[in-house]
Amino acid sequence: MVSTVIVIALVLVGGAATAAVFNRDPTRQALVLSFLGLSLALLFMAVQAPDVALSQLAVGSAVTPLMILLAVRKVKRESTDQDGDESESP
Amino acid sequence: MNLWLLAAAVLLVAAFGPALCVAAVAAPERRLIAQNLATVVGALAFLLMAQGYGRSPYRDAALVLAVLGPAGTLVYARFLGVLPSSRTVLYGAAIGVPAVVGPVCAAVGPGREMVKVLVIGALLVAGGTVTSVKGDRHG
Repeated sequence: MVSTVIVIALVLVGGAATAAVFNRDPTRQALVLSFLGLSLALLFMAVQAPDVALSQLAVGSAVTPLMILLAVRKVKRESTDQDGDESESP
Repeated sequence: MNLWLLAAAVLLVAAFGPALCVAAVAAPERRLIAQNLATVVGALAFLLMAQGYGRSPYRDAALVLAVLGPAGTLVYARFLGVLPSSRTVLYGAAIGVPAVVGPVCAAVGPGREMVKVLVIGALLVAGGTVTSVKGDRHG
């Protein structure tokens, strides 16, 4: 029974990682990435490593996607600012 | 044969798997709903696994996820500019959480651990309700 849970968690991790690779838009990718974090936490719990699962939960399901979203927002804002400058300058 | 782990496995296959499929291909709002559902299902799976392995400290992960999950969903809602209402999450939390927390409480018996399980259940229901009730809330 234990191995069944481990296999299911492994399949979920594989599926989430593959989906994260095939999503090219960073905003959507961040959501899939939080799924990957959650699946990894489930896998760690299934192999009875609760401390690793706890840290993976904090980092993988909240912090990493938040960093990506913040970075995407900043990059977009800077690129629109540059576009505005270019259109004003001539 | 451990029934708790079997329940966790069934929950992962029946709810987490489909949520992952939706999160991989659907529109951003539906992905957000899937992410919300996955945090509820994940926390319930943690509870069941803690019971299945017979280690009560494992429930801490469920507690952390019950707090972090709705917070994460609200952060995504802030960035995507929309908080979609969802009956799936609302009913999933209203039906699924008591269906798991009840038997776990019965197995744990009265005491401090039971209070912890009940707190986790209340957090999950509250989080699911806050992030999925119907209303025109944007950004």
